[in-house]
Amino acid sequence: MKRRWVSLGLSLLGPVSALLISAILGAFVMLAIGKNPLQVYAVMISYNLGQLDSIGSIFYRATPLIFSGLAVAIGFKAGLFNIGVEGQYYLGAFFASWAGVYIKGLPAYIHLPLVILFGIAGGVIWAWLPIYLKVKRGAHEVITTIMMNSIASAVMLYFIHDVFMDQNQGTLGAPRVRMPPIQPTARMPTMLGFLHAIGIDMPNYVAINWFLVLAILAAVAVYYLLWRTPFGYELRAVGQNPQAAEAAGINTKNIQYQAFLLSGAIAGLVGLSDVLTYFGYLDIDFPKGYGFSGIAVALLANNNPFGIILSSLLFGFLERGGLGIQALAGVPREVTTILEGVVILTVVTVTAIIGRRVRAYERHMAALATAAEPPIDTQAPGRGQ
Amino acid sequence: MHPDLILAAGVSSPAIADAVASAIRLTTPLLLTALGAVFTERGGVVNIGLEGMMIFGAFWSAWGAYTYGPLAGLAIGAVAGAIMALVHAIVSVTFRVDQIVSGVAINTLAYGLVRVASQALFHSATTSPSVPSLPRIDVPVLDQIPALQPLMANLSPLIVFAFVLVPVSWWVLNRTVFGLRLRSVGENPLAADTLGINVVLMRYSGVLISGLLAGLAGGYLAVEQTSMYVEGMTAGRGFVALAAMIFGNWTPVGAMFASLLFGLADSLSIRVTIPHVPYQFVNSLPYILTIVVLAGAVGHARAPAADGVPYERSGE
Repeated sequence: MKRRWVSLGLSLLGPVSALLISAILGAFVMLAIGKNPLQVYAVMISYNLGQLDSIGSIFYRATPLIFSGLAVAIGFKAGLFNIGVEGQYYLGAFFASWAGVYIKGLPAYIHLPLVILFGIAGGVIWAWLPIYLKVKRGAHEVITTIMMNSIASAVMLYFIHDVFMDQNQGTLGAPRVRMPPIQPTARMPTMLGFLHAIGIDMPNYVAINWFLVLAILAAVAVYYLLWRTPFGYELRAVGQNPQAAEAAGINTKNIQYQAFLLSGAIAGLVGLSDVLTYFGYLDIDFPKGYGFSGIAVALLANNNPFGIILSSLLFGFLERGGLGIQALAGVPREVTTILEGVVILTVVTVTAIIGRRVRAYERHMAALATAAEPPIDTQAPGRGQ
Repeated sequence: MHPDLILAAGVSSPAIADAVASAIRLTTPLLLTALGAVFTERGGVVNIGLEGMMIFGAFWSAWGAYTYGPLAGLAIGAVAGAIMALVHAIVSVTFRVDQIVSGVAINTLAYGLVRVASQALFHSATTSPSVPSLPRIDVPVLDQIPALQPLMANLSPLIVFAFVLVPVSWWVLNRTVFGLRLRSVGENPLAADTLGINVVLMRYSGVLISGLLAGLAGGYLAVEQTSMYVEGMTAGRGFVALAAMIFGNWTPVGAMFASLLFGLADSLSIRVTIPHVPYQFVNSLPYILTIVVLAGAVGHARAPAADGVPYERSGE
């Protein structure tokens, strides 16, 4: 029992110290541009936690990040690096929007699930080529998925601007490059009614919606799949040591193929919270970058699905805080992008150092006691070492 | 771009030479970065952060050129790339963190740092003011032949530098003690270590060279090609250069031919319109080509044996 607490403490030590180091490095950036870091952090905290709409907004911003972090984590767990979540969710958002606009006459309880399935399909389709080329031709998924991201941007521009652009936008100003509005039957309702019913007086402009609940359910499902099913066991075995997995009779290529498509399926859901609730149409300027943030989210959580919920909330906090410090302290909100990069670097570095210390300590203890217990799982995030 | 302006002014020149000249201009940043990638990967360190190092180099060279002139600007850009490379080396060589994770973080970090720095220095997150370029050079004698004029006249010195760097890189890698040691560290770090070669120092050298050249390539885009910094101007070229290096089988000469191929695709994607094919897809040509090349190249290409594997002395 004591050992369990030590293990939990060690697994938290990495993320927590990484966050502290990131905050200190972020402070140097603020000093460099002539701002008082303590004041900036104080503004960020009071702006974020002092008002109800900020808290709602943090949950709203965390929603796509949970999906994105889960998609990246499934890849990592199978020894694959899915940088293509970005492009996969563009396609997911487009597929869902298409079904939301052009499939008509369905009741909401059929239309909305169908639209979500279209989103999943978009993500899977865009994930297919990189993993096919990986298992068949050995093409590294990192570069192919990055290229697929660039191609996805071009495809989106083509479909939204050249094929499906909304021609009935009225006469107010220049027409926007966007698709026609998604039908009400395909819109995801906000959680405001529910929140009001349980006595939380969330302001009406906050777009916190039921995708949040779906994202949390997805995290639970991913946890169950990876840690409680034979498929998940094989998937993690492939990620930890493909040669050993192959030797143990696991079809590694097949597992990686399925894992990557699953990753793409979840990636297809990333953009839906924004498109189906907040905007109600697909604009060429829909929110981008969730795929890359998902990498930081997954690494900070050491690919643990419940950790991903927490780290998504933290990044939602940072993004919302970015708006706050820009408006109230005159600090560019991109400081939070810097923090994202610094968090990735520090968390993996600190985890690697701690892991090494723990392994050295355990070797030492094992040398002392002949009856050694199984080692703590302190593997570095990502694709192991 | 200057040669195009001269063409527009009515200097007659064959269209093919003109197209090739455009392809060579677009090859240059890819070639510089791909040569750097050869050094880092032959030393056993994968550098997916080249894109971020290019972004960093592009911004800081524009700032340097704006403040101190083009030559100093390019030098500052190269050093800026090397600083990002140093972060990559510390994290992935010293702390032995997964090299791809480190590289991805570098890309995010460079993007954020450049946006903040651009707002602080240029009061615009996405563009710099116009900056001066290096004086253009003409290749003597050859620039008098009309058919070759677009290729030989009014060149950025960096284009010449990039192509001269190809045999130099080959010589350094294959004919110097440094090159031998770098390659040994990429193939079998344990054996190299046993022979007394400083594995960490060698790997740092490879990564830093790649950062210098990626930073210089970014500087070429900002100072030489566009005369200003524009956000997103690298447009994934760091990744394309990595693919070019793989397609070139981890050799300088191979990287050059692969970079020329990608440069040609880049130039076609800008200059050519194909009937019935949406321009967005034509613009994606370099990216599509990268995927095709990776899918086709791997199999007969061979990476250094210890490429991407952190080196850990036993007992540590």
